[in-house]
Amino acid sequence: MLETDLAEKFAAYAEAHLPGARNARVDSIHRIHGGASRQTYSIDLAYEDATGPKVKGLILRRDPPDSLIDTERRVEFAAIKSAYGQRDLPVPEALFLETDQAALGAPFFVMGRIESGEPLNPFRIDTVEPHRAAIGEQFFRHLGSIAALEVEGSALAAETETPAADQCWRRELDYWTNEIRENALTPQPVAEAAIRHLERHPPPPAQRLSIVHGDYRTGNYLQDGEGRMTAILDWEMAHIGDPYEDLAWATDLLWCGNDQERAAGLLPWPEAIAVWQEASGCTFDPAAFEWWSLFAHVKALGIWVTSEKAFAKGENDDPILAWSGWFTHAAHELMLAMRLGPKYGAGA
Amino acid sequence: MSDIGMILDRIGRKLVTEVAPKLEGDYSGGHAAMSGLMSVMAGEAWDNAADRLVNEIAGLRGLLALGGKAVTVEASPGVKISDLTVERDALARDLIALQESLEAREDDEARDLNAKIWMHLMATAMARMPSPPDFPDAEE
Repeated sequence: MLETDLAEKFAAYAEAHLPGARNARVDSIHRIHGGASRQTYSIDLAYEDATGPKVKGLILRRDPPDSLIDTERRVEFAAIKSAYGQRDLPVPEALFLETDQAALGAPFFVMGRIESGEPLNPFRIDTVEPHRAAIGEQFFRHLGSIAALEVEGSALAAETETPAADQCWRRELDYWTNEIRENALTPQPVAEAAIRHLERHPPPPAQRLSIVHGDYRTGNYLQDGEGRMTAILDWEMAHIGDPYEDLAWATDLLWCGNDQERAAGLLPWPEAIAVWQEASGCTFDPAAFEWWSLFAHVKALGIWVTSEKAFAKGENDDPILAWSGWFTHAAHELMLAMRLGPKYGAGA
Repeated sequence: MSDIGMILDRIGRKLVTEVAPKLEGDYSGGHAAMSGLMSVMAGEAWDNAADRLVNEIAGLRGLLALGGKAVTVEASPGVKISDLTVERDALARDLIALQESLEAREDDEARDLNAKIWMHLMATAMARMPSPPDFPDAEE
């Protein structure tokens, strides 16, 4: 669908769904790069209501035409709803979820656009200076706040299963193991050995059941260049589980600009952990963190082999998927091999 | 015969430093930059691919022999990357099975061979890791 067609159809949809709206039109629309799993558009919607003319900034997240990810869309929408307005979390307002393809040719959801901020490139994390510490403090405080959100009664709990505290790890490991085995185009001896290692050495049960963002990392938040995190984005892998999953993913070496002294490349480790503990109410457990940080590499490999397959099969020709299947896959495979090899007697 | 690695490198640098900046703000600008980056990486990989695969295959065959496994995977008819990849993948499947069987044992021989397998996996992972392309012109 051309963007002009999309704009006309979206204006008609918005007018029908915004209470009291009339004469709706799209003043501007442009596709945002990244987020290959969904087509993401920034839209200025002009309309009138009883109080006069208005212009509203919106983000439209539309499934690709051949998408089979209905569940994930519902989950992402529910996760954003669960976090919006809670504990000072900078989360956009979830506005519409449309599962019918008739309106825009594919299911979609719409959220309010947060007007300030740009994503920070995890491979050029130094550009955050001189606000590294300020962003780091907010990064770990918001991460802890997400872990502390009430699960029971949340929109997310209504869309997903809540595992037992001692089964969070099992469910996630099974899911990503299956993703790797279903989608890898070549044998994955490092991933397979890591999966067996994680099965033989399970983590302690979750200290609490939490909303897990699922992809909380540098690259998936906006910051305004003046030391303020303005939005937490990309909730499509959200679920209920062990908050250590998010802590380990957020501090994975790939997102740290190769900075091992600072957690997530942002804050010295002791400070980061202290902020996270205070906000989450959890107590840092090195054994749990070790397991979940190894798991983060396996989960990453699951994402990268799936991306590679989608690109190789022509299901999605966004070059970011080829990059994921090549560079980031190689990076995580190397991290896993270098961490696990010495545990089995191989010299580093 | 032209130097394919050089061609891919030069095309990639042109995409990143000249084409992508002209498309800034357009969705295709991101595609151009990413394609250029990977073209440079492909230039490097082109040169190394056969050498890397031959080394991986030799390592795999050696480990499977140490494990006493009868290897039925035939050697590639030549050094085409696609042929070598088929051979490497078949051997890698056998290696996964061998390593799993070693992990079920607790004797020194099994531990020693498992350590050798991990050495191979570490070396292979290092060899597969592309160098991050450097674009000083584009970053100015």
